[in-house]
Amino acid sequence: MKKRSGELKVLVIEDNPGDFILIEDYLSEEHNALELQRAETFKSAKSLLKVPSNFDTILLDLSLPDINDTEILVKEILALSYGAPVIVLTGYTNKEYGVKTLSWGVSDYLLKDEISASNLSKSIHYSMERKKVQRQLYESEEKYRTLFDFSPLPMWVLDRHSLEFLSVNQAAIELYGYSREEFMEMTVRDLWAEDPDRIEKTVEENFHDFFTVKVKHHTKSGQGIYIDVQSNPIQFGGRQARVTLAHNITERLKAEERLKHSQQRFKALVQDGSDLISILDENFNYIYVSPSAKNILGVNPERIEGRNVFDFIHREDRERIENKIQYLGKKKAYQLPSYRYRDGNGGWRWLETIISDLRDDPAVNGLVANSRDITKFKVQEKQLRESLERYDIVAKATSDLISDYNIKNDVFQYSNAIYDTFGYTKDKIETSKQWWQDKIHPDDKERVIEASRGIHERGQKLLNIEYRFKCANGNYKYILDRSYVITDANDQPSRIIGSMQDITERRKYINAIERSNERLREIAWTQYHVVRAPLARIMGLIELLKNQRNNLDNIEEIIDNILNSSEELDKVIRKIANKTEEEF
Amino acid sequence: MLEVIIVDDDQIVVFIQKKMITNFEIASHPISFNLAQAALEHIIKDRQSDLEKDYLILLDINMPHMDGWDFLDCLESHEKKSNYHVIMVTSSIDRKDKEKAKKYSTVRYFIEKPISAQDCEKIKEISEISHFFERV
Repeated sequence: MKKRSGELKVLVIEDNPGDFILIEDYLSEEHNALELQRAETFKSAKSLLKVPSNFDTILLDLSLPDINDTEILVKEILALSYGAPVIVLTGYTNKEYGVKTLSWGVSDYLLKDEISASNLSKSIHYSMERKKVQRQLYESEEKYRTLFDFSPLPMWVLDRHSLEFLSVNQAAIELYGYSREEFMEMTVRDLWAEDPDRIEKTVEENFHDFFTVKVKHHTKSGQGIYIDVQSNPIQFGGRQARVTLAHNITERLKAEERLKHSQQRFKALVQDGSDLISILDENFNYIYVSPSAKNILGVNPERIEGRNVFDFIHREDRERIENKIQYLGKKKAYQLPSYRYRDGNGGWRWLETIISDLRDDPAVNGLVANSRDITKFKVQEKQLRESLERYDIVAKATSDLISDYNIKNDVFQYSNAIYDTFGYTKDKIETSKQWWQDKIHPDDKERVIEASRGIHERGQKLLNIEYRFKCANGNYKYILDRSYVITDANDQPSRIIGSMQDITERRKYINAIERSNERLREIAWTQYHVVRAPLARIMGLIELLKNQRNNLDNIEEIIDNILNSSEELDKVIRKIANKTEEEF
Repeated sequence: MLEVIIVDDDQIVVFIQKKMITNFEIASHPISFNLAQAALEHIIKDRQSDLEKDYLILLDINMPHMDGWDFLDCLESHEKKSNYHVIMVTSSIDRKDKEKAKKYSTVRYFIEKPISAQDCEKIKEISEISHFFERV
C-alpha cells in the first residue's frame, strides 16, 4: 500500500504493550511522518490532553486499568479531544455496545482482532475527514447564525404555514419592542397595521418563492412604521419556513414626502408665480423658462428655450443691459435696470430682472434670472412724469405764483413768480407758513387767516380770496389767491396748492371805477334836486290849472309861470349835459 | 283858529301852495315867507298877542340862510309847541330826511312837491288839526 504523505500525530491510549506495538507497526506501514504518543492509563491520557497538543486522532482502548465505566471514559476523552476524532479499539464483540459509543460521539469503532494496517489507516482518515467536514459545517452554521443574530437589519424566521415566529434577531427585537419570548407567542399577522388581505394574498401566491412587499407595521408601543419586506422560503429545523428581512423605510418615506412637498412648493412658486424665472447659460441663451412665461409674456416657454436673451430685448435697451452684465461673476446677484422685452404678441413689456450667478451650483449650473413685469408701473410713471412736466410748464407759463404748502412739514414751495412778480430772491424766501402770513397786509391778515381756517377745521377744499401781499420792495400787490386742498388717505388735508394771481392792475381799475361811481352818484343826486325843483313847479302849476278852469283871473299868471319854469328846466338840463361832457 | 304859514324861497312854489290852500279851503288867507327867519319872527311876534292860535306851517327844507331844520330846532324850544303843525315840503323826499324829521314832535306830514289835491285832503285829516275842518 502506498505510503500516505503528511505528518500524522496520534495519541494511543492503550495499557497493553503488545497491542501498542501492533498499532505502531500498522501505522508505520502507512505513514512516513508519524508521531505517536502513548498513554497507558486514563489518568495519564487526561494529563496529556490537558496540554493542547493538536492530535490528529485519538485511539482509545476501552479496557484501561484505572477506569471501569466506559461511558465516563469515552465522554471525558471526547470532551478533551479538541475536535480530534476519537476511534475506539476494543476486544468486545458486542456490536451494540460499539454502536452505543458511536452515539456518544466517537468517530469509529474497531475490533482489535479485525484491525489491519489498511483498515486502521482508512478509519483514521475517514474520521479525520468527517470531523473536518463536521467542523466546517458547524463553523458555517455558526457564521450564519451570527449573521442572523447580529445583523443590523431586523430579521425573523416564520413558519411558512402558520406564519408563527420561529426565530427573531436582536435588531427586530429592538425595532418592535417585543421581547424574544413575546415574539415566540406571536404570528407576523400581529404586526400588520393595514391591508391584511393584500399581504395575505402576496404570501399565499409566493408560498414557494421569494417575494417583496411594502407594509405598515405596528410596534409594541403602537407606533406605525413602514417596512420593506423581503422574504425567502427556507427549511428551518425540518420545517417549511421563510426568512424575512424587514427594512424600516419610515424615515426614507418621510424624507421622500418632504422632498415631494418641497418640489410641489417650488413648482407652485415657479409655475404659478407672477415672476418669470429662467435659467441662462454663460452666453445668455435660455436653458429653462418657467411656465409663467405664458401668463406674463403670452408665449410658451419651449419657444424661448435655446434662444438668446438679447433677441428679445429692445434695441435701445440692449446696451444698458450689456454694460451691466459685463461684470458677471464679480457679484453673486444684481438687479438690472428696467428694459423692454418683446412679448408673444410682438408688443413690448417692461421687465425688471435680478440675475443670480448659480454656475457653481450643480443643480442649476447657470444664471438664474428672476423677472417681474413692471409695464403697468412704467405706464403710470410716464403719466406721472408727463403730469409733472405739465405742471412745470404751467407754472413757468403763468405769471401766477404757484405755491405748494406741505402742511405736516410746514414747508412752502414757490414758483419763480415769487421773484418775477413779488421780487423775492431765493435768499430772501423762507419756507414757513409764518413767513407767508407776515407778507399779508395787516388790514387783510385777520380775514385771510380766518378763511384758511375753513380748510384746516371745516374740511373746505377750495379757497378763493383776495388780499394784499407785500413785495420785496415793501409795496403791496393785490392778489387773488385760489387754493386747492389735497387730502391724504385719511381724508386729512396734507397739501395746499395755491395760485396767487397779481390783480393789482385790475384792483386799481376797480378802485378808480368805484371812486368814479361815487362821484357820479353825488352828481346825480345834486342834479336830481336841481332838475326836480322846476319840474315840481310845472307839475304844481298844471295841477292848479286843472282846478282853476273856472277862475280865469289866474290863468295868465299860471301859464307865464309854467313858461318860466320850463325855460329854467331847459337851462338846467343843458348845463348837466355840458358838465357831463366835461367830466369824462 | 288855524293860521297857515308857507315858508319857501321859491316864489312860484309859494304861489302854487297859496292857491291850493285857498282852493281846498284849508285857509282863506295863508301867510307866506321867502325866508325862514322872517317866518320865525312873525310867529314869535304873533304869539305875544293873547289870541290862542294853532299854526299850520308848510316848510321847505332847502333854503338859503336858515334852512328848514334850523327852523324846526327853533320851534322845538317854544312853549306850547303842540300848537305848531309842520308839514315838510320838499322837491324830493329822502329817506334820511324822513328819519331826521321823526325827532321833531311838531312835524305832522311830508309832501313831495308839487302839492297835490290829494295832499290837501290829507292835510285836513291830520288828527291834531282835523277839528278845524269839520263841517258844521
